[in-house]
Amino acid sequence: MESLANELKVRIIKTLQLEGVQPEQIDDDAPLFGAGLDLDSIDALELVAMLENSYGIVIKDLEAGRPAFQSIRALASFIQAKRAA
Amino acid sequence: MSEVSKFSRPGVAIIGCGAITAVGRGVDALRAALKTNSSGLKPNARFDSPRFQSSIVGAVPPNDFPSGDPAFHLAVAALGEACDEARNVLSSIPAARIGLVLSTTKANIAALEQLAENEPCSDDARRHLQGYALAVDLAAGQGASGPVQCVSVACVSGLVALQQGAKLILRGDADAVLVVGVDHLSSFVVAGFTALKAIDPNGCRPFDRNRCGLSPGEAGAAIVLVRGDLAPSSAISMLGWGGSNDANHLTGPSRDGSGLALAIRRALNASGLQSPDIGYVNAHGTGTPYNDAMESMALRTVFGEKCPPVSAAKGMLGHTLGAAGVVETIVCILAMEGRFLPGTPRLIEPAEGTPAGLMRDPHVVDCLNVVLKLNTGFGGINGALILGHG
Amino acid sequence: MDKIVIAAASMVGEEDVRMARLGTRFGRLDLASQLALVAVEALGVNFDLLPRELIGICLAARAGSLATDFDFWRGRDNAGGPSPTLFAYTLPSSAIGEIAIRHRLTGPNLCLTGEGSIIPEACDLLRRGEAQACLCVFYNVVTPAIAGLINSPAAALAGAILLRLGGNGVRELGENDRDIEKMCRVLCPKDLAS
Repeated sequence: MESLANELKVRIIKTLQLEGVQPEQIDDDAPLFGAGLDLDSIDALELVAMLENSYGIVIKDLEAGRPAFQSIRALASFIQAKRAA
Repeated sequence: MSEVSKFSRPGVAIIGCGAITAVGRGVDALRAALKTNSSGLKPNARFDSPRFQSSIVGAVPPNDFPSGDPAFHLAVAALGEACDEARNVLSSIPAARIGLVLSTTKANIAALEQLAENEPCSDDARRHLQGYALAVDLAAGQGASGPVQCVSVACVSGLVALQQGAKLILRGDADAVLVVGVDHLSSFVVAGFTALKAIDPNGCRPFDRNRCGLSPGEAGAAIVLVRGDLAPSSAISMLGWGGSNDANHLTGPSRDGSGLALAIRRALNASGLQSPDIGYVNAHGTGTPYNDAMESMALRTVFGEKCPPVSAAKGMLGHTLGAAGVVETIVCILAMEGRFLPGTPRLIEPAEGTPAGLMRDPHVVDCLNVVLKLNTGFGGINGALILGHG
Repeated sequence: MDKIVIAAASMVGEEDVRMARLGTRFGRLDLASQLALVAVEALGVNFDLLPRELIGICLAARAGSLATDFDFWRGRDNAGGPSPTLFAYTLPSSAIGEIAIRHRLTGPNLCLTGEGSIIPEACDLLRRGEAQACLCVFYNVVTPAIAGLINSPAAALAGAILLRLGGNGVRELGENDRDIEKMCRVLCPKDLAS
């Protein structure tokens, strides 16, 4: 779980081309949107695409997928749940 | 407080229009569709791919659509019709005094798509990947050797191109300007709006409570502008304009509509008019949740509870991007000449917060003398143009 | 009528973009927008001293957004589809949005592609009172991928000029000042690694 969380931090930094942000600086439970990394709606779409490109997970409905994007921990749990299914 | 610029005589008048759109070739087809409040949106039969949302689009009918170098040919079709209508006046103006301003967001992007698939692409089609080269060739084709510009400011390009045409005339660089807007339906744009999840798979419904996205469209549209003293006194004029930037987000408008409201106020000031002078507003009305809500707020800010009749054309034509400002201005011109208020095709039930003056169906009126046209675009850009009779 | 004055000028290239520290989100901009932002930054203007709602932005996008168009389209067969972020930059005028957002400029905007001359247009905005100052920015981004397509040499540069009605500056704008790139090169002589 921890390594997935870390892997996600690295991927997000790369996908969203965040400058001057190190994985260690992203807290597992910090918000991704609104506060914390303060990502916006286009970033959300990029992360949805990243899920498909890198994890083969398709999110059809953005609203339904919203809880998964609350934090790194939420996203990691979401991915693990999909893998187990 | 900025210095107010009034439009003194002779001003800038409109003497010809041309269009090729989802409802067919020619301004007559557009007028007929406006009077019957028809929609030209249909399932996309031109291209398909698993990467797109199934799309209802505003495509030029197959018999009228030019497949090679589509941006060029759509523009030529519109220019031909407009210059034909303006023939009497244009023929008395030296070629060096006739300019051309092109409005386009993607020019002949079809060439990029073809080259990426190793499909054949003519030299001209490839050359027209660049809007400026397209503009130069269009001017040459019409025998115009005055100033040439290619304007590209997202979905506000058409209005800004009209402003540029007017400015060329007002500062004496030209006596007539051919303003042409064009964008063709492309996999490129459909894929992009799909990536932004901005498309309504069932077709856009501007200002409707169930709206959920736009419909990609295509068009060629042209308007001939001349120095006011060269036009008949009955001609419609450009009275004033205003532009602004939301300075908020690259693809999302300012939530409170303040940027667009500022553009409208600037247009009113430049025209020497007040909000009660406006007889009709043609909105940008893309059908996305954000745009239409923002526009409603902007109209409320400017007009309060006394909003004039408002309607939108994208339910008929789709979002024609670089052509939108020009073709939707032609809608306004047809309304003024024909003395009717256009409706909003595909609007069923207005959403909460939409203007009280929002019109679903067309209405005949005794006269329509002053009209406001609005457009907004990516990059937070807002544009407002006011047209008037006499 | 007040004279139009060149208040500041700049010229930048890719090296300047690499060295720029313009925030966490600078990386997501396309190269054209990055160059344009860095060019404006290099002017060293304090926008607090100007009325932001009356500062216009005129952009000259020499080769349009073709380089970014190519990058966007290259990703069309990704499993997750092409990048939504990149799509937002497949417009020649995207840099206007970035400049306006960063500096909170709500004045009028214009973008011309190809050989369009924006200096006379900026003067027009100032003379008819639509703006009191105008940021004129040009950028030319031609990547190796598109150089052959449009028969243009590879390039990655931008420059900016701030024009004002009255006030102090480098010098008064002259009759022959029409080509922004030429003006930037003369006003900012610099060894640009090309």
